[in-house]
Amino acid sequence: MSGTTLSLRAAPAGRIDMTGVLPEILAGRTAAEIEKIPLRVDGVPVALGECFAVTAGEGEALTIRPEGARLDGLGRDMRTGMLRVEGAAGHYLAQGMRGGELIVDGDAGDCAANGMRGGCLRIAGNAGDWLAAALIGDRAGMGGGVVAVGGNAGDRLGDRMRRGLVLVRGRAGTACGARMRAGTLVVAGGCGTLAGFGLRRGSLILGQAPEAMPACHGDAGIVTLAWLGLLRRHAEAILPGAMPDTSRMHRYMGDLAFGGKGEILVP
Amino acid sequence: MRLWREHPHSPCLRETRVIVNGVSIDDTYAEAFGMKATRIVITAASMTWAKHAANAAFGFATSVIACGCEAGIERELSPEETPDGRPGVAGLLFAVSTKELAKQLERRVGQCVLTCPTTAVFAGCTGDEALPLGKNLRYFGDGWQMSKVVAGRRYWRIPVMDGEFLAEETTGLLRSVGGGNFLVLARSTAQALTACEAAVAAIAKTPGAIAPFPGGVVRSGSKVGSKYKALPASTNDAFCPTLRGATKSELSPEVETVLEIVIDAVDDDAMKTAMRAGLDAVCAIGADGGIVRLSAGNYGGKLGQFHYRLREILA
Repeated sequence: MSGTTLSLRAAPAGRIDMTGVLPEILAGRTAAEIEKIPLRVDGVPVALGECFAVTAGEGEALTIRPEGARLDGLGRDMRTGMLRVEGAAGHYLAQGMRGGELIVDGDAGDCAANGMRGGCLRIAGNAGDWLAAALIGDRAGMGGGVVAVGGNAGDRLGDRMRRGLVLVRGRAGTACGARMRAGTLVVAGGCGTLAGFGLRRGSLILGQAPEAMPACHGDAGIVTLAWLGLLRRHAEAILPGAMPDTSRMHRYMGDLAFGGKGEILVP
Repeated sequence: MRLWREHPHSPCLRETRVIVNGVSIDDTYAEAFGMKATRIVITAASMTWAKHAANAAFGFATSVIACGCEAGIERELSPEETPDGRPGVAGLLFAVSTKELAKQLERRVGQCVLTCPTTAVFAGCTGDEALPLGKNLRYFGDGWQMSKVVAGRRYWRIPVMDGEFLAEETTGLLRSVGGGNFLVLARSTAQALTACEAAVAAIAKTPGAIAPFPGGVVRSGSKVGSKYKALPASTNDAFCPTLRGATKSELSPEVETVLEIVIDAVDDDAMKTAMRAGLDAVCAIGADGGIVRLSAGNYGGKLGQFHYRLREILA
């Protein structure tokens, strides 16, 4: 059973908002019906068929061939099915995603997985800033699901994150895990400055010590944590090599200015 | 092993005898009851410490009559089989009601697993209902406990003096069978013990079943009622060799010892498999090993929903 395929006809002049182009929406529709779905290119309404060559398929599987990184809002509010992006994704990827699986073979832009509540997002390349952070205007960031990044992540990774798991095999930028409320961030390659700034609860697991440990985190010393074994088994099945291979970590509790019940773990 | 039916020549013997390897199989059944059960997995830094915790948690859990639950180690688990990649054991707990099971589970995990160095506890089954595992124990953390959701399941990290106690929030409820049993009648105590040890070893290999008594064996089989009104049960005098001359005994002269094996299982199939394994092990020792008869305990069939006929199980 092959799913529906959308291939970009030519590099667009502006950015295309892909909101509403989801596996569950396209399932069961003919190519002609899909071509009539309205999109917005730089805010101007355009029929999907003008931008994409459509091959209708069966089931809740959708493949998009983007030819560049100008498709924004891919997988926004997705609930079920499988969406594969054979290339790079633009900004606002998987915003508000509730379920299903979204795979990006290339890089992703800024604000991916903002307000995500469920499902699994896999980004083979790098992710931009504000990954798994809050939707604009929201008080809490990612609230569930799993995000796996094969490359690096930008600044403000997991800002105000509320629940869920983010795995980054590479490195993260500054303010990683800032203002986190709960959930788990794993960054194998370490991160820049201001790690865990304003951290209330939640876990920031780093494969390497950050450039500078924030002053407001108390040193809890070296501890062996059984739950890391549990998490490692789960994480290895999603993104091998992201989790440190030891359960004995140096624990820093903080941010002490915000209750101090979060933690930064480094080998 | 040989199973054959001996047709009596004498018209006064109305019953067909079934002999397996020289052991007479009574035409009777074990009467078992529907119970509520759960399985938990205890892990630790080493198998030694996992078993310390399990032995404590599943200790004093031979009979629901006075222990509140019946429990035992189901099997040892390799690191590859446990949720956190450490060695562990799977254990089963059985009780007469969901409420009592929840109470016993929480008490035993709280006092015997939480307290044991390096341990963690996980659900070993799923079911229609959830029983609290770490759900209330987390308050021991005095506000420092942390919740983690991994693969859709919630765990609690409770700070303790060796680091953290990790407990899954809930475990599942199983509708199970308890009180399966059979009696081993032997020429000597030593021979009865040898046969029962073999039976218990065979039952231990059966998934989903435990023999909750010490070493898996009971010597104090009971009957319903007593001459003392306060007691609901008393010694099974018909199977007590020392009372042979004074009561209506079930024992022939050559029987010196009777031992019972009681089995609890997660379902009917597991019970049948475990009983078959135990009975086969005893029959393999046979008359040459001093085994005279195999019988079973029941209450006339009025109390238990499950009846396990020895001859059908051995067939």
